[in-house]
Amino acid sequence: MFGYVRPRRDLLGQAEQEDYQAAYCGLCRALGKHYGFAARFLVNYDMTFLYLLRASAGASAQTAPCWCPARVCGKKNCVLDPQGLSSVAAYTVILCVEKLRDNIRDESFFRALPHRLIAWIYRRAYRKAARVQPGFAALTASQLQALHELEAAQSPSIDATADAFARIVAGCAGDSAPALRRPMEQVLYQTGRFLYLTDALDDLREDCARGAYNPLRFRFSVREGEMTPDDLAYLSQLTDSSVNLAGAALSLLPAGAHTTVLENIVFMGLPSVFSAVKAGRFQAGKRMWGRGQQQKNDENPKAR
Amino acid sequence: MKDPYEVLGVSRTASENEIKTAYRELVKKYHPDNYANNPLADLASEKMKEINEAYDAISKTRGGASGGYQSTASHGSYRSGYQTYNSHSGSGGSYAQVRSYLNANQLDAAESILNTAANRDAEWYFLKGTIAYRRGWLDEARQHYQTACAMVPGNYEYQNALRSVQGGYTPYRQSAYQNSGMDDACNICNALLCLNCLCGGCR
Repeated sequence: MFGYVRPRRDLLGQAEQEDYQAAYCGLCRALGKHYGFAARFLVNYDMTFLYLLRASAGASAQTAPCWCPARVCGKKNCVLDPQGLSSVAAYTVILCVEKLRDNIRDESFFRALPHRLIAWIYRRAYRKAARVQPGFAALTASQLQALHELEAAQSPSIDATADAFARIVAGCAGDSAPALRRPMEQVLYQTGRFLYLTDALDDLREDCARGAYNPLRFRFSVREGEMTPDDLAYLSQLTDSSVNLAGAALSLLPAGAHTTVLENIVFMGLPSVFSAVKAGRFQAGKRMWGRGQQQKNDENPKAR
Repeated sequence: MKDPYEVLGVSRTASENEIKTAYRELVKKYHPDNYANNPLADLASEKMKEINEAYDAISKTRGGASGGYQSTASHGSYRSGYQTYNSHSGSGGSYAQVRSYLNANQLDAAESILNTAANRDAEWYFLKGTIAYRRGWLDEARQHYQTACAMVPGNYEYQNALRSVQGGYTPYRQSAYQNSGMDDACNICNALLCLNCLCGGCR
């Protein structure tokens, strides 16, 4: 999806880094197993966070060395959690294909051609995933339609547009245990809100140049793709509040094997990503992110 | 009832000090201040109750070893400290009803009463902001709270609510990357071993 929900690896211990990597590789393997080789390319950091969150209440799942297409020689450690990973794999396919469909709807015919081609490649995977999670597929389609209508009406409310997207993310908690459902939905809702606002800031300059809809353009005074320092500080406080609400909800989930990694992602990873986006460094250093190279030079998020 | 030791996250052989420390950490984590105005305040309150009961149960089975701490008034304050909208000085009957709906987390019912109110005073904006906050609509919540604070500048409740959407409060984190300490210790050991080899210690 976006790749914004990632840990500060430089602040993780060795065991937690391996735990995170094994979850990422496990999700990639599950995508390949259930939806074919092409679906492996849909694996991303955001959905790894979703898997860790949904598995947070339990003990650490068993891991085993697995074949990795990105590595010619040798194997990588993968989480073996058939039930947990198959649900997240279905969510991943649905979200990615619906996002492609949304792009097709928003773009002109020729600009949308690559999206059409990719959506066509994943058509069977989508049909299978929608059979596994029919409620989530319907929710995603209806919320993206609502978002499309808000965008077409050039809504100045960042709450309304972020809400339409955040409801989709919160929907990923749909089949979790009833006792965990409310805090998990809150973590996901606020993370979804954070994702939407961060993505809007990241795309602001490009959207302004193309004349495309961006909620920040209609809510704040934006000149040549730049927000004023005051507005930027205001937006930072809004995303900080989302992080705090997600963190407070995370504390209400039972402590488990992934608690340290999840806390790292919510309390350290998200603010660091927002800082990088705000400074215009995220796109430039996207490949370096997650390796701890750029984070070391990053400002302390608490100092903002 | 759950195993009280499991609730506090300590072993059965834990010392009195270890139990007290674990209890205090959990109290900080689920303190009412951390969940003021939060839509999940009821869950935090239940968690706090469970922690207090577990601590009381352990104190009793250990023959009053922790009796002094057990009987402190602080327990009572934690138990009753979660924010509820019981009454408000000067508020009309409709506002009292809105607050009771907020206590029951019935946001649509609360909002429908506010939408029909003819007079929009500071309390109206505060309650409207609270509904938006509970829904996660933080931009709208902040604007309403700001209006309420501007209309009645000295109101502590309004100011606290505004602070909560200004990103000022950070939830307490218990684990806080404790494992990194172990890694650091390993790194130091490795460095000392290498140094020993370099200095001829491996002959």
